[in-house]
Amino acid sequence: MTNPDPIPKAAVVNLFTVLARWLLGATILYLGLNKALHPVDFLKLLRQYDLTPDALLLNSLAAALPWFEIFCGLLLLAGIAVRGTALTLTLLLASFTVLVLHRALLLGVAQNIPFCAVKFDCGCGAGEEFVCRKLLENLLLLVLSGWLLAGRGRQFSLRYSLKKPPAR
Amino acid sequence: MINRLRAAGRILLEAVLVAAVGAAFAFAANQVSPRGLVLARNYFPTGTNEAVRMPTIPVVPDNVASTNPAPAVAAPSPVSPTNTQEVPWIDGPQAMQLFHDSHLKPGAVIFIDARDEGRYQEGHVPGAYEFDPYHPEKYFPEVLPVCRTAEQIVIYCNGGDCDDSKTAALLLKEVGIPDQKIFIYGGGIAEWTSTHQPVETGARNSGTLKIAIQ
Repeated sequence: MTNPDPIPKAAVVNLFTVLARWLLGATILYLGLNKALHPVDFLKLLRQYDLTPDALLLNSLAAALPWFEIFCGLLLLAGIAVRGTALTLTLLLASFTVLVLHRALLLGVAQNIPFCAVKFDCGCGAGEEFVCRKLLENLLLLVLSGWLLAGRGRQFSLRYSLKKPPAR
Repeated sequence: MINRLRAAGRILLEAVLVAAVGAAFAFAANQVSPRGLVLARNYFPTGTNEAVRMPTIPVVPDNVASTNPAPAVAAPSPVSPTNTQEVPWIDGPQAMQLFHDSHLKPGAVIFIDARDEGRYQEGHVPGAYEFDPYHPEKYFPEVLPVCRTAEQIVIYCNGGDCDDSKTAALLLKEVGIPDQKIFIYGGGIAEWTSTHQPVETGARNSGTLKIAIQ
Protein backbone atom coordinates (compact mmCIF):
# COMPACT_ATOMS: atom_id res chain seq x y z
CA MET A 1 0.00 0.00 0.00
CA THR A 2 1.38 3.34 -0.98
CA ASN A 3 1.12 6.68 0.75
CA PRO A 4 -1.92 8.43 -0.79
CA ASP A 5 -0.50 11.93 -0.42
CA PRO A 6 3.28 11.86 -0.80
CA ILE A 7 5.19 15.09 -1.07
CA PRO A 8 6.55 15.09 -4.61
CA LYS A 9 10.32 15.08 -4.75
CA ALA A 10 10.27 17.77 -7.41
CA ALA A 11 8.33 20.11 -5.12
CA VAL A 12 10.92 19.70 -2.37
CA VAL A 13 13.76 20.36 -4.80
CA ASN A 14 11.95 23.43 -6.14
CA LEU A 15 11.39 24.74 -2.64
CA PHE A 16 15.04 24.34 -1.74
CA THR A 17 16.10 25.94 -4.98
CA VAL A 18 13.96 29.00 -4.41
CA LEU A 19 15.35 29.25 -0.90
CA ALA A 20 18.86 28.94 -2.35
CA ARG A 21 18.16 31.77 -4.78
CA TRP A 22 16.88 33.98 -1.99
CA LEU A 23 19.78 33.07 0.25
CA LEU A 24 22.33 33.84 -2.45
CA GLY A 25 20.54 37.07 -3.42
CA ALA A 26 20.27 38.26 0.18
CA THR A 27 23.91 37.42 0.92
CA ILE A 28 25.20 39.23 -2.15
CA LEU A 29 22.93 42.19 -1.39
CA TYR A 30 24.18 42.33 2.22
CA LEU A 31 27.85 42.14 1.22
CA GLY A 32 27.34 44.79 -1.46
CA LEU A 33 25.55 47.14 0.93
CA ASN A 34 28.33 46.84 3.50
CA LYS A 35 30.83 47.94 0.89
CA ALA A 36 28.65 50.65 -0.65
CA LEU A 37 28.17 52.25 2.76
CA HIS A 38 31.94 52.48 3.29
CA PRO A 39 33.41 52.91 -0.19
CA VAL A 40 36.68 54.43 0.99
CA ASP A 41 37.32 51.50 3.32
CA PHE A 42 36.61 49.16 0.42
CA LEU A 43 38.94 51.13 -1.83
CA LYS A 44 41.74 50.81 0.73
CA LEU A 45 41.21 47.07 1.02
CA LEU A 46 41.04 46.64 -2.74
CA ARG A 47 44.30 48.53 -3.08
CA GLN A 48 46.06 45.85 -1.03
CA TYR A 49 45.60 43.37 -3.87
CA ASP A 50 47.82 45.45 -6.19
CA LEU A 51 45.39 44.90 -9.03
CA THR A 52 46.39 48.03 -10.90
CA PRO A 53 48.61 51.06 -10.35
CA ASP A 54 46.10 53.21 -12.23
CA ALA A 55 44.08 55.33 -9.77
CA LEU A 56 41.14 55.81 -12.12
CA LEU A 57 40.77 52.08 -12.73
CA LEU A 58 41.11 51.24 -9.04
CA ASN A 59 38.57 53.92 -8.08
CA SER A 60 36.20 52.67 -10.76
CA LEU A 61 36.41 49.11 -9.48
CA ALA A 62 35.87 50.20 -5.87
CA ALA A 63 33.02 52.47 -6.86
CA ALA A 64 31.19 50.03 -9.10
CA LEU A 65 31.65 46.60 -7.50
CA PRO A 66 29.50 47.16 -4.40
CA TRP A 67 26.59 48.57 -6.38
CA PHE A 68 26.99 45.87 -8.99
CA GLU A 69 26.61 43.26 -6.26
CA ILE A 70 23.55 45.05 -4.94
CA PHE A 71 22.10 44.99 -8.44
CA CYS A 72 22.74 41.26 -8.83
CA GLY A 73 21.37 40.54 -5.36
CA LEU A 74 18.16 42.37 -6.16
CA LEU A 75 17.79 40.53 -9.48
CA LEU A 76 18.11 37.17 -7.72
CA LEU A 77 15.69 38.09 -4.96
CA ALA A 78 13.13 39.24 -7.52
CA GLY A 79 13.87 36.36 -9.86
CA ILE A 80 14.86 38.38 -12.93
CA ALA A 81 17.31 37.00 -15.48
CA VAL A 82 18.25 34.34 -12.96
CA ARG A 83 20.61 32.23 -15.06
CA GLY A 84 22.42 35.20 -16.58
CA THR A 85 22.83 36.73 -13.13
CA ALA A 86 24.01 33.40 -11.74
CA LEU A 87 26.63 33.14 -14.49
CA THR A 88 27.82 36.68 -13.79
CA LEU A 89 28.05 35.96 -10.08
CA THR A 90 29.85 32.68 -10.66
CA LEU A 91 32.54 34.46 -12.62
CA LEU A 92 32.79 37.23 -10.04
CA LEU A 93 32.95 34.85 -7.09
CA ALA A 94 35.53 32.66 -8.78
CA SER A 95 37.72 35.71 -9.46
CA PHE A 96 37.37 36.95 -5.88
CA THR A 97 38.18 33.52 -4.51
CA VAL A 98 41.38 33.29 -6.52
CA LEU A 99 42.43 36.76 -5.35
CA VAL A 100 41.68 35.99 -1.70
CA LEU A 101 43.52 32.67 -1.94
CA HIS A 102 46.55 34.33 -3.49
CA ARG A 103 46.68 37.07 -0.87
CA ALA A 104 46.18 34.60 1.98
CA LEU A 105 49.08 32.50 0.69
CA LEU A 106 51.30 35.58 0.61
CA LEU A 107 50.24 36.59 4.12
CA GLY A 108 50.77 33.08 5.43
CA VAL A 109 54.32 33.00 4.08
CA ALA A 110 55.06 36.53 5.29
CA GLN A 111 53.80 35.81 8.79
CA ASN A 112 55.13 32.26 8.85
CA ILE A 113 51.84 30.82 10.10
CA PRO A 114 49.66 27.93 8.90
CA PHE A 115 47.35 28.79 6.02
CA CYS A 116 44.14 28.48 8.03
CA ALA A 117 45.54 30.72 10.76
CA VAL A 118 45.70 33.62 8.30
CA LYS A 119 43.10 36.18 9.27
CA PHE A 120 42.49 39.36 7.35
CA ASP A 121 39.81 41.62 5.93
CA CYS A 122 39.59 40.57 2.32
CA GLY A 123 37.25 43.44 1.43
CA CYS A 124 34.47 40.98 0.83
CA GLY A 125 32.06 42.95 3.01
CA ALA A 126 32.06 40.78 6.12
CA GLY A 127 35.08 42.24 7.92
CA GLU A 128 38.10 40.37 9.18
CA GLU A 129 37.86 36.59 9.21
CA PHE A 130 39.94 33.44 8.93
CA VAL A 131 40.78 32.63 5.35
CA CYS A 132 39.65 28.99 5.44
CA ARG A 133 36.24 30.05 6.65
CA LYS A 134 36.09 32.72 3.95
CA LEU A 135 37.02 30.25 1.25
CA LEU A 136 34.36 27.81 2.47
CA GLU A 137 31.77 30.57 2.37
CA ASN A 138 32.80 31.46 -1.16
CA LEU A 139 32.63 27.81 -2.14
CA LEU A 140 29.09 27.59 -0.79
CA LEU A 141 28.09 30.70 -2.72
CA LEU A 142 29.68 29.25 -5.84
CA VAL A 143 27.71 26.02 -5.42
CA LEU A 144 24.49 28.01 -5.04
CA SER A 145 25.33 30.05 -8.14
CA GLY A 146 26.09 26.90 -10.07
CA TRP A 147 22.82 25.38 -8.91
CA LEU A 148 20.89 28.37 -10.23
CA LEU A 149 22.95 28.40 -13.42
CA ALA A 150 21.86 24.81 -14.00
CA GLY A 151 18.31 26.05 -14.44
CA ARG A 152 16.74 25.68 -11.00
CA GLY A 153 14.77 28.15 -8.97
CA ARG A 154 12.08 29.20 -11.41
CA GLN A 155 9.33 29.50 -8.84
CA PHE A 156 8.38 32.95 -7.55
CA SER A 157 10.38 34.57 -10.32
CA LEU A 158 9.23 37.85 -11.83
CA ARG A 159 10.95 37.10 -15.10
CA TYR A 160 13.14 34.04 -14.94
CA SER A 161 14.57 34.58 -18.39
CA LEU A 162 14.88 37.76 -20.43
CA LYS A 163 14.09 35.76 -23.54
CA LYS A 164 10.73 36.72 -24.98
CA PRO A 165 8.12 34.25 -23.72
CA PRO A 166 6.49 32.20 -26.49
CA ALA A 167 3.23 33.60 -27.86
CA ARG A 168 0.14 31.73 -26.65
CA MET B 1 23.32 19.30 -28.93
CA ILE B 2 22.35 22.35 -30.98
CA ASN B 3 19.60 23.13 -28.48
CA ARG B 4 22.10 23.00 -25.61
CA LEU B 5 24.46 25.32 -27.44
CA ARG B 6 21.61 27.70 -28.12
CA ALA B 7 20.60 27.62 -24.46
CA ALA B 8 24.19 28.30 -23.39
CA GLY B 9 24.38 31.17 -25.86
CA ARG B 10 21.17 32.64 -24.44
CA ILE B 11 22.51 32.44 -20.88
CA LEU B 12 25.77 34.05 -21.96
CA LEU B 13 23.89 36.83 -23.72
CA GLU B 14 21.74 37.33 -20.65
CA ALA B 15 24.86 37.50 -18.47
CA VAL B 16 26.41 40.12 -20.75
CA LEU B 17 23.19 42.13 -20.58
CA VAL B 18 23.08 41.83 -16.77
CA ALA B 19 26.73 42.91 -16.59
CA ALA B 20 26.18 45.91 -18.87
CA VAL B 21 23.04 47.16 -17.14
CA GLY B 22 24.57 46.36 -13.75
CA ALA B 23 27.69 48.38 -14.55
CA ALA B 24 25.59 51.34 -15.70
CA PHE B 25 23.51 51.08 -12.54
CA ALA B 26 26.63 50.82 -10.38
CA PHE B 27 28.33 53.93 -11.76
CA ALA B 28 25.09 55.90 -11.62
CA ALA B 29 24.52 54.85 -8.00
CA ASN B 30 28.07 55.82 -7.06
CA GLN B 31 27.53 59.20 -8.68
CA VAL B 32 24.29 59.79 -6.77
CA SER B 33 25.49 58.39 -3.44
CA PRO B 34 26.67 61.06 -0.98
CA ARG B 35 29.44 58.64 -0.01
CA GLY B 36 30.38 57.87 -3.58
CA LEU B 37 34.00 57.88 -4.74
CA VAL B 38 35.35 60.59 -7.02
CA LEU B 39 36.74 58.52 -9.86
CA ALA B 40 39.34 61.02 -11.02
CA ARG B 41 40.82 61.65 -7.58
CA ASN B 42 44.06 60.04 -6.49
CA TYR B 43 43.14 58.85 -3.00
CA PHE B 44 46.64 57.57 -2.29
CA PRO B 45 49.28 60.17 -3.05
CA THR B 46 52.62 58.44 -2.74
CA GLY B 47 55.06 59.31 0.02
CA THR B 48 57.37 57.72 2.50
CA ASN B 49 57.62 58.31 6.21
CA GLU B 50 60.79 58.86 8.04
CA ALA B 51 61.16 58.97 11.80
CA VAL B 52 62.90 62.14 12.89
CA ARG B 53 63.51 63.90 16.13
CA MET B 54 60.84 66.27 17.23
CA PRO B 55 61.87 69.89 16.93
CA THR B 56 62.30 72.12 19.92
CA ILE B 57 59.02 73.76 20.70
CA PRO B 58 58.81 77.30 22.01
CA VAL B 59 57.74 77.43 25.63
CA VAL B 60 54.89 79.83 26.14
CA PRO B 61 52.15 79.59 28.75
CA ASP B 62 48.84 78.07 27.78
CA ASN B 63 47.14 74.84 26.89
CA VAL B 64 48.61 72.79 24.08
CA ALA B 65 45.41 71.04 23.25
CA SER B 66 43.57 74.23 22.60
CA THR B 67 43.36 74.75 18.88
CA ASN B 68 42.05 78.27 18.63
CA PRO B 69 43.64 80.21 15.83
CA ALA B 70 46.40 82.51 16.92
CA PRO B 71 49.10 84.50 15.23
CA ALA B 72 52.08 82.44 14.34
CA VAL B 73 55.03 82.60 16.66
CA ALA B 74 58.52 82.26 15.32
CA ALA B 75 59.53 78.75 16.23
CA PRO B 76 62.85 77.07 15.79
CA SER B 77 62.92 75.25 12.49
CA PRO B 78 62.04 71.60 12.80
CA VAL B 79 64.05 68.91 11.15
CA SER B 80 63.07 69.17 7.52
CA PRO B 81 62.52 66.08 5.45
CA THR B 82 64.99 65.78 2.63
CA ASN B 83 62.30 64.87 0.13
CA THR B 84 59.08 66.82 -0.30
CA GLN B 85 57.14 63.56 -0.26
CA GLU B 86 58.54 62.60 3.13
CA VAL B 87 56.66 63.51 6.27
CA PRO B 88 58.54 63.44 9.57
CA TRP B 89 57.18 61.23 12.32
CA ILE B 90 56.98 61.76 16.03
CA ASP B 91 56.62 59.01 18.58
CA GLY B 92 54.21 58.62 21.49
CA PRO B 93 56.17 60.50 24.18
CA GLN B 94 56.74 63.36 21.75
CA ALA B 95 53.05 63.54 20.87
CA MET B 96 52.11 63.40 24.53
CA GLN B 97 54.63 66.06 25.36
CA LEU B 98 53.06 68.30 22.76
CA PHE B 99 49.63 67.60 24.16
CA HIS B 100 50.47 67.93 27.82
CA ASP B 101 52.93 70.77 27.70
CA SER B 102 50.98 73.62 29.22
CA HIS B 103 53.49 76.25 28.22
CA LEU B 104 52.34 76.64 24.69
CA LYS B 105 49.99 79.32 23.56
CA PRO B 106 46.59 78.38 22.11
CA GLY B 107 46.74 77.34 18.52
CA ALA B 108 50.48 76.87 18.42
CA VAL B 109 50.09 73.11 18.22
CA ILE B 110 47.07 71.47 16.71
CA PHE B 111 46.17 67.84 16.42
CA ILE B 112 44.42 66.56 13.31
CA ASP B 113 42.48 63.31 13.27
CA ALA B 114 42.71 61.75 9.80
CA ARG B 115 40.17 58.99 10.38
CA ASP B 116 36.60 58.90 9.17
CA GLU B 117 33.73 60.64 10.90
CA GLY B 118 32.45 57.57 12.76
CA ARG B 119 35.79 56.74 14.32
CA TYR B 120 36.39 60.39 15.15
CA GLN B 121 33.09 60.55 17.00
CA GLU B 122 33.95 57.40 18.95
CA GLY B 123 37.00 59.07 20.42
CA HIS B 124 39.77 61.43 19.37
CA VAL B 125 42.62 63.34 20.97
CA PRO B 126 40.85 66.13 22.88
CA GLY B 127 40.63 69.25 20.76
CA ALA B 128 41.77 67.48 17.59
CA TYR B 129 40.29 68.65 14.32
CA GLU B 130 38.46 66.16 12.16
CA PHE B 131 40.00 65.81 8.69
CA ASP B 132 39.05 62.78 6.64
CA PRO B 133 41.55 62.99 3.76
CA TYR B 134 39.19 61.12 1.48
CA HIS B 135 36.63 63.93 1.72
CA PRO B 136 38.94 66.94 2.05
CA GLU B 137 36.50 69.44 0.55
CA LYS B 138 34.25 68.89 3.57
CA TYR B 139 36.93 69.77 6.13
CA PHE B 140 39.19 72.29 4.44
CA PRO B 141 37.09 75.35 5.39
CA GLU B 142 37.60 74.67 9.09
CA VAL B 143 41.01 73.04 9.07
CA LEU B 144 42.99 75.21 6.66
CA PRO B 145 42.79 78.51 8.60
CA VAL B 146 44.03 76.87 11.80
CA CYS B 147 46.73 74.99 9.94
CA ARG B 148 47.99 78.26 8.47
CA THR B 149 48.34 79.88 11.86
CA ALA B 150 49.59 76.87 13.79
CA GLU B 151 53.30 76.31 14.33
CA GLN B 152 53.14 72.54 14.73
CA ILE B 153 50.56 70.26 13.18
CA VAL B 154 50.36 66.73 14.52
CA ILE B 155 48.39 64.34 12.31
CA TYR B 156 47.37 60.87 13.37
CA CYS B 157 45.08 58.03 12.33
CA ASN B 158 44.54 54.58 13.80
CA GLY B 159 48.23 53.74 14.05
CA GLY B 160 49.88 50.56 12.88
CA ASP B 161 49.79 50.22 9.13
CA CYS B 162 47.23 52.99 8.74
CA ASP B 163 48.46 55.53 6.20
CA ASP B 164 45.59 57.99 6.31
CA SER B 165 47.68 60.44 8.34
CA LYS B 166 50.29 60.41 5.60
CA THR B 167 47.61 61.01 2.99
CA ALA B 168 46.26 63.91 5.04
CA ALA B 169 49.74 65.37 5.47
CA LEU B 170 50.42 65.26 1.75
CA LEU B 171 47.07 66.90 1.04
CA LEU B 172 47.86 69.74 3.42
CA LYS B 173 51.25 70.21 1.79
CA GLU B 174 49.60 70.30 -1.60
CA VAL B 175 47.42 73.23 -0.56
CA GLY B 176 50.38 75.20 0.69
CA ILE B 177 50.81 74.32 4.36
CA PRO B 178 54.59 74.40 4.95
CA ASP B 179 55.91 70.88 5.37
CA GLN B 180 58.30 72.02 8.12
CA LYS B 181 55.45 72.16 10.59
CA ILE B 182 53.65 68.94 9.70
CA PHE B 183 54.33 65.81 11.76
CA ILE B 184 52.78 62.41 11.83
CA TYR B 185 52.12 60.70 15.10
CA GLY B 186 52.77 57.14 13.95
CA GLY B 187 51.36 55.36 16.98
CA GLY B 188 48.01 56.97 16.32
CA ILE B 189 44.91 56.69 18.43
CA ALA B 190 45.68 53.05 19.26
CA GLU B 191 48.87 53.99 21.09
CA TRP B 192 47.24 57.08 22.57
CA THR B 193 44.47 55.08 24.23
CA SER B 194 46.75 52.20 25.20
CA THR B 195 48.78 54.63 27.30
CA HIS B 196 45.62 55.81 29.05
CA GLN B 197 45.59 59.26 27.55
CA PRO B 198 42.21 61.00 27.55
CA VAL B 199 40.02 60.90 24.46
CA GLU B 200 37.15 63.17 23.63
CA THR B 201 33.98 61.65 22.20
CA GLY B 202 31.51 63.30 19.86
CA ALA B 203 32.25 66.64 18.30
CA ARG B 204 35.43 68.65 18.82
CA ASN B 205 35.50 70.40 22.20
CA SER B 206 32.36 68.52 23.23
CA GLY B 207 33.85 68.30 26.69
CA THR B 208 33.02 64.60 26.94
CA LEU B 209 36.29 63.00 27.96
CA LYS B 210 37.08 59.42 28.78
CA ILE B 211 40.15 57.37 29.49
CA ALA B 212 40.39 53.92 28.00
CA ILE B 213 40.92 51.17 30.56
CA GLN B 214 42.67 48.17 29.09
